[in-house]
Amino acid sequence: MVLNLFTRQFGHCSPISSVMIEVRELTKTYSDLRRGQFVAVDGISFHAQPGEIFGLLGPNGAGKTTVLRVLSTILCPTAGRVRVNGFDVLTQPDLVRYQIGFVSANTAVYDRMTAWELVEYFGRLYGVETNTLRERMENLFCKLQMDEIRDLLGAKMSTGMKQKVSIARALIHDPPVVIFDEATSGLDVLVARALLDTIGELREQGKCVIFSTHIMREVERLCDRIAIMYRGHILSEGTLHELLESHQQSDFEELFFRLISEHDQQHAAAGIST
Amino acid sequence: MKWTNVKLIFTREVRDQLRDRRTLFTIAILPLFLYPLLGMLVFQVMQFTREYPVRIWIVGSEHLPQQPRLIEGTQFSAGLFNYPKDNELLEVVLADPDSDAAGSEERHLEAKRAVQSADFDAVIIFPPSFSEQLERFRKQLGDSRLPIQNEAVGEIPNPRIIYDQTRDESRVAKERLATVLHNWRENVGREYLKQNNISEIVAKPFVAEETDVASEEQRRAAVWSKLLPFVILIWALTGAFYPAIDLCAGEKERGTLETLLSSPARRGEIVWGKLLTIMLFSSATALLNLVSMSVTATLMMGQLEQLEQTFPELPMGLPPLVSLVWLVVALIPVSALFSALSLALATFARSAKEGQYYLMPLLLVTMPLIVLPVLPSVQLELGTSLIPVTGLMLLLKSLMESDYQLALVHVVPVIGMTSICCLFAIRWAIDQFNNESVLFRESERVEPGVWLRHLVRNRGETPSISAALLCATFLLILRFFANFQFSTPESWSDLATVTVISQIAFFAAPALIMAFILTRNPRATLLFRVPHWLTLPAAFLLAVLMHPTAMTISAQLQELYPAPEQLQVMVQKLIEDAPNIWALLFVLALTPAICEEFAFRGFILSGLRHLGHPSWAILLTSLLFGVAHGIIQQSIAASIVGCVIGYLAVQSGSILTCILFHLTHNSLAILSQILMEDFLAFLPAAKWAVQSIEGGYSYSWSFVTASLALAVLILVWFSRLPHQLYAEEKLQEAIDNQTVRAVAK
Repeated sequence: MVLNLFTRQFGHCSPISSVMIEVRELTKTYSDLRRGQFVAVDGISFHAQPGEIFGLLGPNGAGKTTVLRVLSTILCPTAGRVRVNGFDVLTQPDLVRYQIGFVSANTAVYDRMTAWELVEYFGRLYGVETNTLRERMENLFCKLQMDEIRDLLGAKMSTGMKQKVSIARALIHDPPVVIFDEATSGLDVLVARALLDTIGELREQGKCVIFSTHIMREVERLCDRIAIMYRGHILSEGTLHELLESHQQSDFEELFFRLISEHDQQHAAAGIST
Repeated sequence: MKWTNVKLIFTREVRDQLRDRRTLFTIAILPLFLYPLLGMLVFQVMQFTREYPVRIWIVGSEHLPQQPRLIEGTQFSAGLFNYPKDNELLEVVLADPDSDAAGSEERHLEAKRAVQSADFDAVIIFPPSFSEQLERFRKQLGDSRLPIQNEAVGEIPNPRIIYDQTRDESRVAKERLATVLHNWRENVGREYLKQNNISEIVAKPFVAEETDVASEEQRRAAVWSKLLPFVILIWALTGAFYPAIDLCAGEKERGTLETLLSSPARRGEIVWGKLLTIMLFSSATALLNLVSMSVTATLMMGQLEQLEQTFPELPMGLPPLVSLVWLVVALIPVSALFSALSLALATFARSAKEGQYYLMPLLLVTMPLIVLPVLPSVQLELGTSLIPVTGLMLLLKSLMESDYQLALVHVVPVIGMTSICCLFAIRWAIDQFNNESVLFRESERVEPGVWLRHLVRNRGETPSISAALLCATFLLILRFFANFQFSTPESWSDLATVTVISQIAFFAAPALIMAFILTRNPRATLLFRVPHWLTLPAAFLLAVLMHPTAMTISAQLQELYPAPEQLQVMVQKLIEDAPNIWALLFVLALTPAICEEFAFRGFILSGLRHLGHPSWAILLTSLLFGVAHGIIQQSIAASIVGCVIGYLAVQSGSILTCILFHLTHNSLAILSQILMEDFLAFLPAAKWAVQSIEGGYSYSWSFVTASLALAVLILVWFSRLPHQLYAEEKLQEAIDNQTVRAVAK
């Protein structure tokens, strides 16, 4: 009820499709002085629908952040195709940015801006009309319990407060896709739990949520479908149930470690054979 | 570009900066306190030199003559001071009359010790025979029958002042002593004259009187017009730099850049918003400094009146109001230029700390440009007006001195050049915002070996932008040093050797070597492919049709920047020495056409096309091509021709087309010099198009216009050729063609 505003869809301005996010054969390489061309993401593919939480699970350095940065048009793909609500991230980055709300450990809030000012600023950048903007801001501040930090400067906020502001900032234009990159890192248990609840609600509103983390419990609890990422590859993808079934495991953590060690063994074998 | 977004970003950044104490301190507080503090300092120094009492020791006062008197009681005679009250500031101590036992050497040492130990600020020693010698000289003078001979009188021993240059008090004491002594000496001289009934006029038969045609206001304007632009420029730069660091490098460091980049604000909008903010702070800093300086100056004027008495030629007073108005107007382009530069540099820095390091190089580059106009003999003319910053300062100077006619003539080149520089800096900044490796680069260990290996190992099909810039820098440096190495050619064979060697060694060879080392595909880099066959005759025809325009431009440039006649005559003579026309064409047309094309349209343009904007790549290459020509007349013409050849390179994709155009262009320039007379004699009907004038010939405007129109037609044909775009260029095209932006309502 509170967030009923967000149920409106953006379908009218994009090709109608049931796939909200489409990643095909995405590769991203960085040129690195020491290692030469470093492949951060190696030809991965996945897709996500509206009303679904898609989890990217992987250890640090797996390439999750790179994938999400490509999705949010901050990085350009080296090869492959990435579409968000039908728009190509490479050739239509401006249009893609209207489709997504991006919350990451790297998207900080401005130190010298209050919570209210910051959310308003981004709302305006997205071109949200003044009346709508006001209404949405009131709702968001109420829903995320941010009323007491409304006039607090970013520099004086705690990590949890900052994260709330970031979420409000990412939702202000009512995007069909919301991306959370390691969003719970650094949060205490209470705040993290509240955040997970909020994400759950976004799914109820029919949004497509991409959620990356290295914490397995969060994925187990929240995600409809999961992709396990390691060293730039997706090792396995499916619902929690499917994953456990296909690899004949009962414990998710066990499954995760098995997949990773299998990959390492294959890699080592390939390294020897070549 | 949406200006509402630019405005939004601008307002946010301004508010952000105003909430930052550091910024407020540099732009507002510092200037408010700086000038009063400086003023107080000057005032203190003046006060000190004027009012500090000093202790003087007079040794040998017993050797002074009775008349005229130097000392009365224990003070100097009252009449010896320029200002009577100065007498009180000299505390005089007379040394005990000394017996002959102590030698003059010893007194000297004693005096030195007294000054060194600061017992006295200065000592004056009168030698033992001082008064006797003076007396003898006076007598000799009185005896008018004898000619005065120095040998007869003997030398008058000089009094000696002993002081310590490193001690302010001692210096002041010495100055005052010198004044007193100077006045006393005049009195002594006057006394002599009086004794011999000679008028004082003999010593000063006449005084040259002076008339300054400058009005008082003009003199004030002249002083301020040298000082204030300097102050404005320095503060505009400082005021731009620190906010720029905070806005770009600081934003990266605090992690908010990614937030901003994932918002729908386009890179251009972000850059413009930030640029306007930096401009605002840059001009505000300069303006506040100006205001604070003026206020302090006004307050100090009263105190300075005394200084005015000492230096009446120094015009004291505030700058005229008109000058101030012009300063404020000129502040806009000044701060725009500096803001754009600082922004581009600050975007490149990965942290605020790294950004600070760039201030020094920026200052080092701009300082000579700021100092140049202050030098005497540097005047506002077309040449200087095209130098960034310098031109602007000279224009401002002439405006402040109310030399409006001169200013009006040069307004267009100055503003034009400033705008070009601004646009380049803005373009650079926008490209940096699009450049992942700049936005997300990490600090890496500096290891030249690893870097070089990386450069070679990870080389692309065509050179990278930095490789292209490296090549250009290398060529320019080589050329610069080569100028010292090669002496001026004295014969045709000298000229031919120097030209061919330098073309091959400084253009072709480096480009070819770099193409083979730094790229995987030297053929593609150097555009070594067969073009569409029609482009060859088209390029030839284009060069022919552009010849009249090129010659007209050269003639105009020659008029604006006359090359030294000596040089022209020398070159003319060397060319006449050429054995035949083919040798001439080989050395001056074919060799440069091949070598320069490989370097510029080959390596450099291919690298710069990774920028994603072919037009920017062509423009930048042409500017570098122009700079490589060294002489300003040639540079401007070469830059223009370079744009055309660059376009041919992009459209035809082949170096052959470029070489053919270049060869035709150069050949026509040479042939027309030599053969035009014969041609006109052979075909008198051509007179409507070409006229012989003194020292050459000129094309009629109608002919130039007609041929240029046809040339444009050929360029249009070139524009329709299917041509290959770089991946970056295709991407930019796609991004620019994005459909109407979806706006959340």
